[in-house]
Amino acid sequence: MSNILKREAVFAVTGLVTVLMFVEYFFFPQDWIVASTIRNWAVIIYNISLGLGGVRLIQQHVMGTQRRKENWQFSALFLVAFVVMLLTGLAGYLGTGVATSNGIYNWLFVNVYTPLGSTAYAITGFYIFSAAYRAFRARNLDAALMLVAGCFVILSNAPVGEVIWSGIPAIGEWFRFVGQVPGMRAFEVVGALGMIAYGFRALLGKERGFYAGGAEE
Amino acid sequence: MSDQNIFDKLQNIDRRVFYWVLFITLMVPFIYPIGLPVKVVQNTRDLYEGITGDNINPGDIAIMNFGYGVSAWSECAPGFTVCAKALFREGARIVFMGSQYDVELSMNKLMNDAREDFANKVYGVDYVFLGYFTGGESAIAQLATDAWTVYPSDHYVTPDAQIPLMQDFHGWQDVTVVLSSDTGDVGSYFLRQWQGSHGTRLAEIGIAMNGSTDYPYYLAGNYFGLSIGSRGGAELEVLIREPGEATTAMDSINASHLLIVLAVILANVGYLLSRRKA
Amino acid sequence: MAYPTELLSVVGLWTGWLLMLMIYSYPLYKENVAYRFAEHIFVAIFLAINLVVNFQYLMNTCVTPLLQGNLLMIVPLVLGILIYTMLIPEYRWVSRYPIALLVGAGFGLGMRGVIKPSILDAVVSTITAPSAGTMMNWVNFLYIAVGLLSSILYFLLTYEHTGLLQPPTKLGRLFIMIGLGAYFGNTVLFRFTMLTGRAQFFLQVLKIIPM
Repeated sequence: MSNILKREAVFAVTGLVTVLMFVEYFFFPQDWIVASTIRNWAVIIYNISLGLGGVRLIQQHVMGTQRRKENWQFSALFLVAFVVMLLTGLAGYLGTGVATSNGIYNWLFVNVYTPLGSTAYAITGFYIFSAAYRAFRARNLDAALMLVAGCFVILSNAPVGEVIWSGIPAIGEWFRFVGQVPGMRAFEVVGALGMIAYGFRALLGKERGFYAGGAEE
Repeated sequence: MSDQNIFDKLQNIDRRVFYWVLFITLMVPFIYPIGLPVKVVQNTRDLYEGITGDNINPGDIAIMNFGYGVSAWSECAPGFTVCAKALFREGARIVFMGSQYDVELSMNKLMNDAREDFANKVYGVDYVFLGYFTGGESAIAQLATDAWTVYPSDHYVTPDAQIPLMQDFHGWQDVTVVLSSDTGDVGSYFLRQWQGSHGTRLAEIGIAMNGSTDYPYYLAGNYFGLSIGSRGGAELEVLIREPGEATTAMDSINASHLLIVLAVILANVGYLLSRRKA
Repeated sequence: MAYPTELLSVVGLWTGWLLMLMIYSYPLYKENVAYRFAEHIFVAIFLAINLVVNFQYLMNTCVTPLLQGNLLMIVPLVLGILIYTMLIPEYRWVSRYPIALLVGAGFGLGMRGVIKPSILDAVVSTITAPSAGTMMNWVNFLYIAVGLLSSILYFLLTYEHTGLLQPPTKLGRLFIMIGLGAYFGNTVLFRFTMLTGRAQFFLQVLKIIPM
């Protein structure tokens, strides 16, 4: 009984929900209340589950601070910043229903989060430049084709390409509208077929990787 | 060591030199701008024509999805702003929403960048900001069938029943066009759950990285138009005849792109020379 | 947006500028205390915003309707809380139920939605011959058709790519490399545009260029 609850019943839920989505698609041209309700529940469960990663991260930093692990001061800083932002945000929400109505939260959001968020993601621009110089070599035909296509697309994306040679925009457009299409469309079709195959495996209970501890049992 | 030529030595340069060269190269064009003309490509033109003229009637409802955060403002915001302006000038009503935590900041930026257009519009009647949503593909599918369950109220916690625009927006059948601006997957959710399932007109104002994967869909007719990254934003600014952030950034893009192509060519010349020597 | 004049806004602008330099001290110099400081602040604030925004959304979509009389909302609320049993080893199996619902909904929606745009429309677009046929149109049509077929064959992993399968799969690999090269070209635009924004901000705060 315990095994059925832990495995078979779980697969049955997955299978049932998947089938309900298909039934709605093929038999109900307008929405179907059962599928609509389940989707709404999925949205809410997804929302609640987003805190899971945060719980783990906080646990880790609390432990680091308590046990005075290496660089524990940064963990303490993390916790202080987190608590300040969380409390001010909740205070804003409880006051007016909108978190940014709290002045401190809004100031941190605009003046700390915005530049840090932009900067952290932009750092990859540096790495792509050094990677292109160090690793992008025409070692064989495959790499040479990739290199040529990449260079033409790079130059056609920038208006300077047309100044260098009037043929660059035309060749770049060819790569965009024709050249890259077979490869990209292959990813699209194969990805779609893979999703369908994977979905059927999940429907039949053969895929257990995404159930907590499911891969072990 | 004495056999090393200039190319071999360049291979061993500290990578921090590259980073400094790049950072300075990006800054110089802002101080000494050149302003090369930007040629408009067909996919961007189709996008602009798809939201103007006979393709949009006054009162039509458009969804504009902020699928980008502050990190991608320079990529997506200019194109998004032009599209919002174009839709407002056609008299369309716009529902703004987004899947990023900082969607409110993006909305504030839009309202600042298009302030003259927003000045003529009434909140709740001509446009509404629904704010953040989560739930992935389930949320987008649910938005198509029952939008009020995904958003029982707008971002400012006003119930839908009190918002005139929301009285006319319950699902896919009320929406004329969807414009999604993405750094991730939300555009593909709209593609599957709105365009694929119900035939809703859909266009993407995406990051350049998604451009390659989006082109097959544009060519197959799933997207009626496509704006690729900041270059697409600059093209849209040309079409609406209002140069903005993307046009300003093009000089810097020119310099950096030229730099990376030169670096790749230099590296390959060195590589071929060393292979020949070996 | 003009350069701010209020003290708090100016302080905020310069705070952002300094934090940006702290982050860039890592690639432009080396890992240091300032970088770690900024990194930890960023992650902490990002996590807090995540929780606040999601809490706000949960209250609006679930708790408020529940308090207004929609008792069915107790089901997703309880299921969502049950996901946190993942943190308790002996009750981990309970979290499989809400995950099962999420996975089932995700797969059901994905599978039913992907057929038309990603398979049917892609195939129709590939096999539709050009109506106004210049030579170049026909060359492009054949390029895409042959390219797509051979690229898909490349992903056929059930059989070894030998014998009859070898030439088309090798050809398919070439088409894929062209696609990846174009993808790289677009990635460069994306990454450099983000950096351009930061370079512009750097100069604007110093008032070297107007805001």
